Amino acid sequence: MNAPTQTALEQAIAQLIIDTLNLEDLQASDIPPAQPLFGEGLGLDSVDALELALALQKRYGIRVESDAKNAREHFATVANLAAYVASQQGAGDGAH
Amino acid sequence: MSDAGVQEPHWAAQKERGSFALMKLTALALRHLGRRPMTPVLYLIVLYFFVFGRRARRNIRQYQTYLANWSGRDELRSTTRRVFGQFMAFGESLLDRLDVWHGRLGPAQVELHDPAGVRDQLRQCLHGGRGQILVCTHLGNLDVCRALAEMGEQVPLNVLVHNRHVAHFNQLQSEAGDRQLRLLQVSEMDAALMLDLSQRLDRGEWLAIAGDRVPLNDGRRVNVDFLGHVAPFPQGPWLMAGLLRCPVNLMCCLKIDGRYQIRLEPFLDLPTWERGRREQTIAQWTQRYADRLAQLCLLAPQQWFNFYAYWPSIHQGETDA
Repeated sequence: MNAPTQTALEQAIAQLIIDTLNLEDLQASDIPPAQPLFGEGLGLDSVDALELALALQKRYGIRVESDAKNAREHFATVANLAAYVASQQGAGDGAH
Repeated sequence: MSDAGVQEPHWAAQKERGSFALMKLTALALRHLGRRPMTPVLYLIVLYFFVFGRRARRNIRQYQTYLANWSGRDELRSTTRRVFGQFMAFGESLLDRLDVWHGRLGPAQVELHDPAGVRDQLRQCLHGGRGQILVCTHLGNLDVCRALAEMGEQVPLNVLVHNRHVAHFNQLQSEAGDRQLRLLQVSEMDAALMLDLSQRLDRGEWLAIAGDRVPLNDGRRVNVDFLGHVAPFPQGPWLMAGLLRCPVNLMCCLKIDGRYQIRLEPFLDLPTWERGRREQTIAQWTQRYADRLAQLCLLAPQQWFNFYAYWPSIHQGETDA
């Protein structure tokens, strides 16, 4: 979780966040995998989360559960999102 | 229409005052008796609501006063007669609703006012187009819009509703033989819902959502000017549109000179926002919607069927209707 460097998938997801939310002043490397995305960390809000969920679904074809508690955990950090995408895709780091 | 009490109840928390039991009864009576003998009964029912619905009377009086002041049209000024007239219009709309369900009021009796060709876009969705959003209003008769589902050549229309009484209406509706519309009960806008809606749009289905009622459990609302006074409007439809990047059209169904008219008009071609200005953008769309709604109110001033306190400022101490 606290790995200092990004995996390829983590980097791809960080980039997806930047592209989806138009965070143009940021680069993928500016979003550490373990940094909280919401609240104090990157400062995203619940509408950003919805936008992100739609983008992830389009890009990786993953389904987001309606269970809010799980969803909140999957969306907590880039690392969590990467782990979730990877687990949904079956195996490996599924970065394209 | 609400009881006289201390707390102003939220519209979703009050049934349309026993309207389910009432409508079921009325539906039965209509089926067996036809509409004509029911009309005096309707007068009695409406009179009952009028006499005992002190708060609803006051709310309608407020609406009429605001509308008259805002438009500067003296003939719209609120009188007891006009307040009663608005109650009667609601009663009539219930009868019309039942006529729709029983197939007595169909596309042939409804005039379509659609200068921009929204209906054609709806039809195109049978051949692979992406769906769009219809924002509806409680001005006029929403149920007559169901006739559109038939006019729309089987394009699935998903109606998003906040209300737990919907289950009842579902039941009543299927008893009445209507299975064209799909009612989706929405309590919260979460990711699963958005994905579901996104897929429905991609399949060419359309979404309908009311733009003029603030949901009970959702803090997403925005205060805008409506008829010259500040009123809370829901952000939901506009958030949804922006998230789903989906064109928005307005739909309403007004009874004008005894004849229903479905009005369709495009409202937002491609809703997007800059992230930092999301709140302002949504507030702008909502204000524009409220402005348009105010104009539509002038077309059918007595068909405003929001009987709850629409403007929050008049809780107590106002003169009674």
